[in-house]
Amino acid sequence: MARALWTGSLSFGLVNVPVQIVSAVRDLDLHFRQLHDEDKAPVETQRWCSEEDKEVPYEAITRSYELDGGKAVMISDEDLEAVEPRKTRTIDIDQFVDLADVNPIYFDHPYWLVPAGEDEGAARAYRLLLGVMEQTDRAALGQFVMRAKEYLAIVRARDGALALTTMRFHDEVRPTRDVPHASGKSTKPSRKELEAAAALIEALGADWAPERYEDRYRKRLQKIVAKKRKGQTIDVPTGGDDQPEAVPDLMAALKDALEAARR
Amino acid sequence: MALRSIWNGTIAFAGVFVPIKVHSATEDRSVHFHEVHVDDGARIEHRRICSKDGKEVPYKEIVKGYEVSEGKFVVLDDDEVKAAAGERSRLIELEEFVRAAQIDPVMFVKTYYLGSQDKGKEAYRLLHDALDKTDRAGIARWVFHNREYLVAVRALGDVLAMHTMRFHDELVPAKDLEIPSPSRKPSKRELDMAGQLLESLHATFDATKFEDTYRERLLEYIQAKAKGKLDELPRRTQAQDPDDLMAALEASLAGNG
Repeated sequence: MARALWTGSLSFGLVNVPVQIVSAVRDLDLHFRQLHDEDKAPVETQRWCSEEDKEVPYEAITRSYELDGGKAVMISDEDLEAVEPRKTRTIDIDQFVDLADVNPIYFDHPYWLVPAGEDEGAARAYRLLLGVMEQTDRAALGQFVMRAKEYLAIVRARDGALALTTMRFHDEVRPTRDVPHASGKSTKPSRKELEAAAALIEALGADWAPERYEDRYRKRLQKIVAKKRKGQTIDVPTGGDDQPEAVPDLMAALKDALEAARR
Repeated sequence: MALRSIWNGTIAFAGVFVPIKVHSATEDRSVHFHEVHVDDGARIEHRRICSKDGKEVPYKEIVKGYEVSEGKFVVLDDDEVKAAAGERSRLIELEEFVRAAQIDPVMFVKTYYLGSQDKGKEAYRLLHDALDKTDRAGIARWVFHNREYLVAVRALGDVLAMHTMRFHDELVPAKDLEIPSPSRKPSKRELDMAGQLLESLHATFDATKFEDTYRERLLEYIQAKAKGKLDELPRRTQAQDPDDLMAALEASLAGNG
């Protein structure tokens, strides 16, 4: 099983559930090293002082924050420690919300929660919370500290386990009012058009089945690497950058599409 | 303030084309620092140095190496890596439409807003309203920065939103977890009581009720340090030792005073 990234307990009311956090995703990307074209030797990154033109050892590097007006202030490790949140070992649940009310834009990184330790009590408390959450469509909201940072998290039942996802804060989600859209009266579709478009969407309807979609990019990249390894050449596709014109007669286009979809 | 767009192209569903622009729906507001040299405060530059000849390597002389065995690389140039994106295209073709509520949010990576363009506003509105009416999301592929993404397009308020998605094999399935079963299952009475507790903590989701207090404290600290007024910071932003019982007592008393 995946390595525990955090160990502590989930607490709501006076109930404590000892849990560990493990990642819910795995990295399947192909990773590359940077090489020098001339001699195919790996390239290393060195840190140089831009003023003195010499390499700087790791211990001699600190961070600085640029204030408005260009003034900078140096922030040491000790400074960061001074503002570090108190290292608590609990995920404090203060409310349960309807999952359907939470816009998925807020979801950031997904994790799993598993009971911590061999202790029978942990397993029972976990089962109890899971059992009760499986009976509702509610999710728990709470805050916790991981890697010296405070997170807002949402906890819910998924596939017979408790899932935790860190959340973005509200000021990290942009309002939609600045996005050009078409809500005015002049663009309102006629009932006939809307019905035809909805019928088209239903005709192209399918059940969501994620295993039907594969990462074609990853597959192609694996193929390219395998070909290159055998000394074969790679065809580089070109073009395909043109854009189709917007359709002037929506109704006619919808009718054609509907007929095609129903055939 | 007009939002900057990061891509523009066309959404196609069946024979209908909707010209759109892609905008980021989120922004990272964590506090970012520059690396500097502690002696003189000068910026640190990252230089690429060849491990064989020790010389700096200009960007255009860098190729990508996929390590097949210790120190042995298959070498790819930029164009060969780009070929993996497939057909370069300005089209997002909605292939099928699934019930939006069926997609578990664990699939979503990043969200974008799709803005309308001056041309084709009727088509934009029609797609928006039809997705809204049917509660469905269109599934498509999107080629962005030489990579192909799986996306879901749906109506969100007055606009169209697009989520990039993880692939199913990137998710750790629940069956891979080791969840021990207790010898005794929770009783009905326990479940009922936990249910009541859950009910008593029920609230309507309101994202604005949660602030990134860490970010706020850090920015406050930085401003205070810049003005040389660190000692004027309220106590709670100073280092807190969890074992400092006296401080905890004092803080509790002050809170009740």
